[in-house]
Amino acid sequence: MSQISPVVIVGAGTAGISAAVELAQAGIHSIVLDEAPKIGGAVFRGPYREAIELPHLDSKLRKKISNIRQQYHDHQAFIELRLNTRVLGPAGTSSLLIRHKEEVSELTYEQLIIATGCHERSVPFDGWQIPGVMLLGGVQLQLKSGLVKPGQRMAVVGTGPLLPLVACQLHKAGVDVLGVYEAGKFSDFAKESRALLNRPVLALEGMGMLSYLKANAIPMHYGQGIVSASGEESLNKAHFAKYTDDWYPIEGTGTSLELDCLAVGYGFVSRNQLSQLFHLEHDICPISGLKPQVDAWQQSSQDNIYVAGDSVGILGGEGAMVEGRIAALSIAQTRQKVTPAQANNKADEYFTLLHKVKSFRAGFDRIGRRREGLLSLLTPNTIVCRCENVTRSAIDKVIEQGVKDITSLKMRTRVGMGDCQGKTCNSYCQDRLGHELKNPDVGHVKPRFPLDPIPFSALSDGVQL
Amino acid sequence: MSTNMNKKYDIVIAGGGVIGASCAYFLSKQKDLKIALVDLKKPGNASRASAGGLWAIGESVGLGCGVIFFNRMTMQQADATGEDLPPMRPHVLPDYFFEFALKSNAMYPGLWQELKDNHGVDFKFEKTGLKYVMYDEYDKMYADSIVDHIPGLIDQVSWLSAEELAEDEPYINKKSIGALEFKCDHQVNPYRLNEAYLEGARQNGVDLFLETEVLSIEKQGNKVIGVETDAGFIGCETLINAAGSWAAQLSKMATGIELPVYPVKGQIILSERLPKILKGCVSTTDCYIAQKDNGEVLIGSTTEEKGFDTTNTLPELKELVNGAVKCIPMLNDLNIKRCWAGLRPGTPDEFPILGEMPGVEGYINACGHFRTGILTSAITGKLINDLYRGLPLDMDITPFKYDRFLKSTDNESIKVGEADQEVEIA
Repeated sequence: MSQISPVVIVGAGTAGISAAVELAQAGIHSIVLDEAPKIGGAVFRGPYREAIELPHLDSKLRKKISNIRQQYHDHQAFIELRLNTRVLGPAGTSSLLIRHKEEVSELTYEQLIIATGCHERSVPFDGWQIPGVMLLGGVQLQLKSGLVKPGQRMAVVGTGPLLPLVACQLHKAGVDVLGVYEAGKFSDFAKESRALLNRPVLALEGMGMLSYLKANAIPMHYGQGIVSASGEESLNKAHFAKYTDDWYPIEGTGTSLELDCLAVGYGFVSRNQLSQLFHLEHDICPISGLKPQVDAWQQSSQDNIYVAGDSVGILGGEGAMVEGRIAALSIAQTRQKVTPAQANNKADEYFTLLHKVKSFRAGFDRIGRRREGLLSLLTPNTIVCRCENVTRSAIDKVIEQGVKDITSLKMRTRVGMGDCQGKTCNSYCQDRLGHELKNPDVGHVKPRFPLDPIPFSALSDGVQL
Repeated sequence: MSTNMNKKYDIVIAGGGVIGASCAYFLSKQKDLKIALVDLKKPGNASRASAGGLWAIGESVGLGCGVIFFNRMTMQQADATGEDLPPMRPHVLPDYFFEFALKSNAMYPGLWQELKDNHGVDFKFEKTGLKYVMYDEYDKMYADSIVDHIPGLIDQVSWLSAEELAEDEPYINKKSIGALEFKCDHQVNPYRLNEAYLEGARQNGVDLFLETEVLSIEKQGNKVIGVETDAGFIGCETLINAAGSWAAQLSKMATGIELPVYPVKGQIILSERLPKILKGCVSTTDCYIAQKDNGEVLIGSTTEEKGFDTTNTLPELKELVNGAVKCIPMLNDLNIKRCWAGLRPGTPDEFPILGEMPGVEGYINACGHFRTGILTSAITGKLINDLYRGLPLDMDITPFKYDRFLKSTDNESIKVGEADQEVEIA
């Protein structure tokens, strides 16, 4: 009866496409939605326009981009791809409201896989809004999809495995990379070497990048981070310092660099707005923000909704691939397209790999866990919510008034009430309130329908009368 | 009962929405009482979801969110009977509600100044007026009928011709035939009003137990003596039930009687920030429209009985959008920023429930404000303060007392009374 209805997958990144491929292999059709004009997600989307050569991207990345496209191509008969399509939210209990160009329509599903990935965690500091200060993922997208150099003289600051990678990519693209500033201490990395060896190839690649940086005289500074950025109309100086164990900048250890672009990367946050609108159960995760609860088969608190990839906790490409496939296997089993024995057999391999990926990732998470010192990088006038121009001092004032939760903070300051629905400021607000109250459970900026603004015309029958 | 037995208050207010917050503010002005306010934010809180209209006359004659409700009921009736649509009759509330609404409305200019001067909080009171925009002869008949019903308020209404309306509100559909304006109906920012009362109360010494849930009510005989919360026990002499749509559960715990208060869902649409396109608030027979202090245009609202559900649904949103676009055509090319739904605390006769409960000591109702909680929060706070202190009241609250539900002879009410007896014995 229900066998014909396709599984709906939100997101054509690694998790979404992997799920669609696994479903296809079980003979199940799917509809894959993505807001971008190309599949692959932020990581493997590649350039919007086809370039003949991408000399600044390493061969491995080029291979992965073509690989995901090939996989889709091989299973195209089972996959209906709808690009340039945004999901606005649930419509009733078994439909999504989606928008393609100016047209808004409903798409019903029997099973849904949410694979919406993540977005960058914005860490505000004095000067973070100056043109030229960019988030790390955005810098990478300019290189990989936009095919433009974000700047001429750059530095990379933050924490995590993406730092050296982006530094290498920038250098290969011809950018003068002045330095990489990793908040984690070198000794922390040494301590985590066992965890990192869960994915020996990735660990080796990391070593390779570090040698590349060294060979090209790009200094890698451990235990250091951003203090502030400055410039009149656009960035011309960034200031760094050694961090304490709690990541407070240590006075007198500062260095300044003259540059025109700064890549800042203090991590990513699960893109959970859709899963929240579905009222799925969520957990507070210190690394990924609020993330939906799933069981071993990626099934959420609602039976017919699965969540896979970075949207259920940041693990990167390999994790996303495996989780997408596990979710698909579970659906194939529900639809009796594979037997439990077959599903278990296949999934065993995925579970093992997922476990290793998680152990590897946990190493970085322990090093890169945000410390309270990051909250000290704002001056009273530093903007926290750029949609509504809310400054740190406005937030200080209402915290003094005894505000204990994000909703009250929002009502009193308008923080998070702008067009981005708190994607930018929520992380700071949560960290700040959590720190002040010594309790991480302070609520969060709740997303509202529609997830992106839509024209009135999309819901109207035109002007009557 | 557990910890914190030393927390003993004269008054505990359950509910930090606009009503509870107003009660806290008015009761704390003299700073002579020990007051605690307990609040847990639940999805659908009506004060945050509200439009913030102070439409004293508009709401009393069934405009604002009332009009859509009655419009729909009329259509449903016509559908059911197969008759043509009868011309709509305004749903005019009785005089005592007018008095309640108008008295409250008159307090806002002073309250606004007072909260700004004394407590540094600004709830963005704006003098806007409310225009009932008419498209055809039926709308005109409706407006005529409204005016006929309110002879005493004739100085508060004015008729605008099509030309006058076009001059006053150039973005309203030029095909409108005119408007009826209620000159004393204005607006505030609803969540700022709520937070302003709370902050004023806090500065006056009220202890705010935010993000705190009431688990049970402690009684000694028929007297409330405290509230068990997830933050411990809070003792009190008097409990004020300002729990909005959740008031029935609270009264059940405190008195054994489940108040007839239930959630009435209203969906709202908000535009992106726009330059000033509306001077005043607007109501048509399809929706109401108000441009708020930050430039967003707010469109409301449906009236649905769906329990505690707060989801947005497409057919209802489309109806509101069509109504808004009909009134202000340029909206069609602008953006919807977000939608939400709130839960008005409805009662069978649409009136709030104020004052004591028969047979229970140390308990006061301040709930059931349905679709006028923002508007009537000021008078409610003042009345509850005066009532608590035994001062003469600004108006007779008999029509708003719980007892009115007992006068009816149907079995249900009697049963409710019996349940009460049992609890007292227990």
